[in-house]
Amino acid sequence: MYTRTTGIKMQSIGGPIGKWLLTIVNGREMDIETVKERAGPREFSAKDDMPEEYRKAATRMIQFHANSEIMGAYLERPFIRQAPSLERKLAFSAKTQDELGHGQLLYRAAESLGVKTRDEMLDELANGEGKFLNCFHYPMESWVETPMIAFFVDGAAMRRQATLKNTSWEPYAHAMDKVCFEEGFHVKHGEAILHELMTGSKKEQEMTQEAFEKWWPRIIQFFGPTDKQSTHHGFASEVGLKQMSNDELRRAFLNSYVPKAEKYGLEIPDTPRITKNDDGTYEVNEDDLDWDEFFQIAKNEYEPGVGQIDGRKKAQEAVAWVRESMDKHEQTIYGGGESPQAAD
Amino acid sequence: MAAAKQLPGPQDLSDDEREALEALLFSLADDEFVIAERYTEWQVRAPTIESDISVANIAQDELGHARLYYDLLEDFGYDEPDLIWERDADEWRHSTLCELPFEEGDWADYVVRSFLFDEAEYIRLQALEGSSYPRLADRIGKIMAEEKYHREHARSWLERLCEDDESRARMQDAVDRLMPHALTLFAPTDEDIEARIDDLGIRTENLLTMREEWLDEVVPRLESVGLHVEEAQLPEQYDVHHADFDMPDELGRDQSHTDAWFDLYDEFTKSYRELGRHEAAKIMKDPDDE
Repeated sequence: MYTRTTGIKMQSIGGPIGKWLLTIVNGREMDIETVKERAGPREFSAKDDMPEEYRKAATRMIQFHANSEIMGAYLERPFIRQAPSLERKLAFSAKTQDELGHGQLLYRAAESLGVKTRDEMLDELANGEGKFLNCFHYPMESWVETPMIAFFVDGAAMRRQATLKNTSWEPYAHAMDKVCFEEGFHVKHGEAILHELMTGSKKEQEMTQEAFEKWWPRIIQFFGPTDKQSTHHGFASEVGLKQMSNDELRRAFLNSYVPKAEKYGLEIPDTPRITKNDDGTYEVNEDDLDWDEFFQIAKNEYEPGVGQIDGRKKAQEAVAWVRESMDKHEQTIYGGGESPQAAD
Repeated sequence: MAAAKQLPGPQDLSDDEREALEALLFSLADDEFVIAERYTEWQVRAPTIESDISVANIAQDELGHARLYYDLLEDFGYDEPDLIWERDADEWRHSTLCELPFEEGDWADYVVRSFLFDEAEYIRLQALEGSSYPRLADRIGKIMAEEKYHREHARSWLERLCEDDESRARMQDAVDRLMPHALTLFAPTDEDIEARIDDLGIRTENLLTMREEWLDEVVPRLESVGLHVEEAQLPEQYDVHHADFDMPDELGRDQSHTDAWFDLYDEFTKSYRELGRHEAAKIMKDPDDE
């Protein structure tokens, strides 16, 4: 049975003490050159004494991923209520629950690097310091927008996550096994909603097309700026954390999703311009995308996104009393020492 | 009570039998659907990731139960829009406990609400296991298994949040606010129809007996963790005193509801209306084939 951590106390073997113990065992930190030489799928785990630069880069990447799961769920949660059928409501509730489960798993994988605790990462997310996917900074108002996330964004995420099964930090790769398995269902769920809308009334089809036009450029930006502009790409690739470049991922996504969108009767908007190469692959004209907005989002300064961050923060603060009460409960039972269990 | 004779299948029921079954099934289904609606409000807002995942789990169980009960109503020729999406808000029969809104962050509301509901649910299910209507009796086992877990979950939260004074005070507020509405779980849809439900053996305990049983369970439990129930006396005195409980103006079962219900109804039917839908997508296997 796995231990359910409360999020109140640090439970992982990471942290300063864990790291100190590892140093005793291993003698010294692995140097960067060795890391680069050895970097391969699932090569490193908590038993390796990784250099700080690696641990920080891996933490940044996994924390971003974990935050995105939480903020994606936060964005989608109103549609549990607004789902137009009982079984869709069930599916939406289950999907949201899965995303929280992914967040839980990923924070644990991030904690295993010994840089930050889950509490610290959740605090950063609440304070607006934690970064997360561009698409989850935009507001969502209507049911017709749900497949834009559940089909396109989740589909895009699947692409990236599938490559991360081979990332060099083993706990991250391990988390991806479960995440990818469940995301497969989410994409199917999103695809079924899209199909339903695009075979529905004319009004539904028009509303869906309109939503698609709004979301399409954001979805393409999901993969981030071109490799030239990406600041963290080089090192993360060299140490095997990142498996494919932004450009490769974006191209692979377009190759598979442009035909899918068209299959469901969606028209690809004129901008950003997308050209078809002789070999049938697609290429996007990057200059047509709003990178100012993208980088504003990346800094957590985009207005609607700030609203989402603050809304979630407010909700979390409103239940702080419960976490405090659980803390007191644990202190009573375990005398303030390490505690294995908490309410769930 | 002598075992009542088995009722026939849905097509062969008399009008009286069908009317009794419908009243019961709507009460059961609406309770589950509406309380789940409030539970899902906690998703991505619960105190910890772990509690978020478990409240989601419980909400989905309740939605699953609602689905099983609504499916039995479909035997009578209704479809999902008739039962949920296009049924007028003032025709719903859930207890007002299920529909009440709560303040942001009021996790005590969730704990007390689910405690009061799950204890009642358990007693109600026991009275349906031996139902004379086989289509209903057959589904109770699955529901009961999940409700047992809910009851444990609610009891453990109840105990934990009553350990310190500050959170116990919040729990007391929730009890004061929710208890009168919880009593409506045992309110009649209509006196005649309730009597018929009992006479036909569709349910093996009547509402008053179940209410006594429920009070015997919940009041001592609340008192044992330092909470007080207004007007309640010691368990052995309930027979004399239960009539003293104040009931809210809106009972739910008789189709009277608080204002909050109408807002909630507008919210959950929003997409269905905006899209101009006339049907509701089924994406799971029929419960009879599961």
